[in-house]
Amino acid sequence: MAGKEQGFYQVFEVFSRKAPDAPMQHQFSLLAPNEEIALVMAQENFMRREPVADLWVVKRDYIRRMSEEEKATLKRLDNKDYRLTRGYGDLKKRWRKYEQNVLDEKEILSWKGEIRR
Amino acid sequence: MERRDSAMSEKPIHFHPDGQEALVELLFQLADDDFLLAYRGSEWLGLAPHIEEDIAFSSISQDTMGHAAMYYQLLEDLGCGSADELAHARPASARRNAVLLERVNGPGHYLREPRYDWAFTVVRQYFYTQAKRIRLESLTKSVYTPLAEVAAKIQVELHYHLLHWHTWFVQLTNAPLEARTRMTKAIQDVAADFAGVLTLGAKGTEMVRWGLIDEEKVLTENTIAALAPAFAEVGLDWPMPFGMKHGNGRNGEHTPDLDEALATLSEVYRAVPHAIW
Repeated sequence: MAGKEQGFYQVFEVFSRKAPDAPMQHQFSLLAPNEEIALVMAQENFMRREPVADLWVVKRDYIRRMSEEEKATLKRLDNKDYRLTRGYGDLKKRWRKYEQNVLDEKEILSWKGEIRR
Repeated sequence: MERRDSAMSEKPIHFHPDGQEALVELLFQLADDDFLLAYRGSEWLGLAPHIEEDIAFSSISQDTMGHAAMYYQLLEDLGCGSADELAHARPASARRNAVLLERVNGPGHYLREPRYDWAFTVVRQYFYTQAKRIRLESLTKSVYTPLAEVAAKIQVELHYHLLHWHTWFVQLTNAPLEARTRMTKAIQDVAADFAGVLTLGAKGTEMVRWGLIDEEKVLTENTIAALAPAFAEVGLDWPMPFGMKHGNGRNGEHTPDLDEALATLSEVYRAVPHAIW
């Protein structure tokens, strides 16, 4: 794009939300000489046909983006069930089963191995 | 933890019988290093100097605990006992972690007036993560394929860990006044025990001879080369030489800090050893 090297026009990223309680969403980018102009251009160039409750513009240079190398930090291993609530999905089923039995020590010890995954 | 084929875990896998001792020794070093540092990291929960850091650091500690679990699983596969037992039930004298990683986070106790040292933590984590990265690079070429495969997996998560600790290391050290003073002191403190992380212990030569890992000398040089650019970034002199001030954990020498850590982390395990989790 033409916003290179601090020329007259800079690239701005435009964010908006549809309602006061809606999430802010990235929409488009545009060229403008400063943030006031960016804001007024954003409104009439992109938001003419839809409801808008709030509008933000930010100079693209002000966004700390990831390098290709840094994107490698986003990967993780698939061994973190404990961070997800779905790990507890079968609790009801387990309780139903145990509630049908008497919970004595012998019963508790007999679980060994049964639930092992 | 990754689920494994049940047939696989029931039947012990064997390396060459003469090399098995060196392999087991290496796996205990790797497992205990990650396990103890992850435990020390977990003690920061709720105490980190910044709420977002509290979460991020806890995630890193969980990742690291996951790495330890993978190594303990390799030991279980070799018929050394169950992974849970190896992690929780071994006494301090059987542990092979570097002493640096067992040392307390600072004065106080996490339940009673913790006065933990964030500078020490950042330096320890950063130095260790660099050494771990170098070690993993070597392990991906290990002749013991299950270990090479685990190393390749762990590498995936090291990118973030390194970025995280490098960022803290550089920003705190380059900060003025107290931060730089404390970081400089922490670097000396960590360096005094860092040789204990780099050593492969008494069976190191055997490990190398069996093609399990590169020589200690090579790993050390590569780790120093990995740390050096950060020292240039913060304009500090290299803290050589590294020492083993508090003992060589690879030979089973440990501090009372480890006894205290093991007593705490195994409390629930020891209460009902046959419980199912």
